[in-house]
Amino acid sequence: MTVASNVKQCLASLKGIESQLSILALNALDEEAKTAFHESMLVIGDIKKDLEYRVLELERLEPQYKGS
Amino acid sequence: MNEWSELLFRTFLFILSLFLVTKLLGKKQISQLTLFEYISGITIGSIAGEAITGLEKNYLQGLTAIVIFGVITFLADYLSLKSKKFRDWVEGKGTVVIKDGKILEDNLKKERYTVDELSSLLRQQNIFNVADVEFALIEPEGRISALLKKENRPLTPKDLQMKMPNEKEPQTVIIDGKILDGELTEAGKGRGWLYSELEKLGVTLDNVFMAQVNSYGELTVDLYDDKIQVPSPAQRPLLLASLKKAQADLEIFSLSTDCEKTKAMYKKNADLLQETINKLSPYLNG
Repeated sequence: MTVASNVKQCLASLKGIESQLSILALNALDEEAKTAFHESMLVIGDIKKDLEYRVLELERLEPQYKGS
Repeated sequence: MNEWSELLFRTFLFILSLFLVTKLLGKKQISQLTLFEYISGITIGSIAGEAITGLEKNYLQGLTAIVIFGVITFLADYLSLKSKKFRDWVEGKGTVVIKDGKILEDNLKKERYTVDELSSLLRQQNIFNVADVEFALIEPEGRISALLKKENRPLTPKDLQMKMPNEKEPQTVIIDGKILDGELTEAGKGRGWLYSELEKLGVTLDNVFMAQVNSYGELTVDLYDDKIQVPSPAQRPLLLASLKKAQADLEIFSLSTDCEKTKAMYKKNADLLQETINKLSPYLNG
């Protein structure tokens, strides 16, 4: 396991979390819960962007790990 | 034989009239909350009994008396909606019997309750120690309502300063294998959603005795066949676990990288994620 693959794994699980939060935000009946899920989803989206950028950086620095 | 058919006729007539009168007077009549409803409740019942079995008398008189009683009770209900004074007079007020933790003997005497009766009423509310009570009053219908001292009240999440999510009432969407469309709409779902959820659980509609949708849009089912194990919804606790895992991963990345800028980025995101976890954990637990 390399750093790049670890970061990619984390990125993938964040994507999963984001989509689950989106589902919960749509399914929840209580307005407050809906808002909490939705806001968290946006926060996760931001974190995801940072990580995506970092993955690109890693791939540029260490091209041998590209795609792994 | 004529008497028997007369009896049959009267019985049906009075069942119908009692049903209609009670329907008119509504739930209040059934709970007999006030003095007036208590009186009318027992009287209407005995008039009906008398009129049914008193075959030698004219049943129309009994019927009229029931109607009059019903109308008067209805009028009293209506007037007490309009006027507070009338309400207090007709329906009666509660009598305070314990105040500031002390029994008010005079009020107790006024209502002709003995201390034994008071403590018996309190025991029915699971209060065995009169000293635990801060305030208690006897309601017009004879029950007691008691407020415990703060330290004796059951602990609530508010006392622990815990934030608890508000939950909407669960909707029952399937009963006896039949879909209740009204409740389904109330839960903001459709039949298509329900069928796909049932498929996910691996059960057919006609095997479901009852199904409910909770505040988070999760479906829980009870089957006719109790031997079949149905998975309980675990999406939210799992989500919390994966959030925690991602947060820990970010912390590790931040510790293991040498580049200052990247370190800061990981740290910032780990903190953001921790905040999110704190915010969501009331919703995701259980």
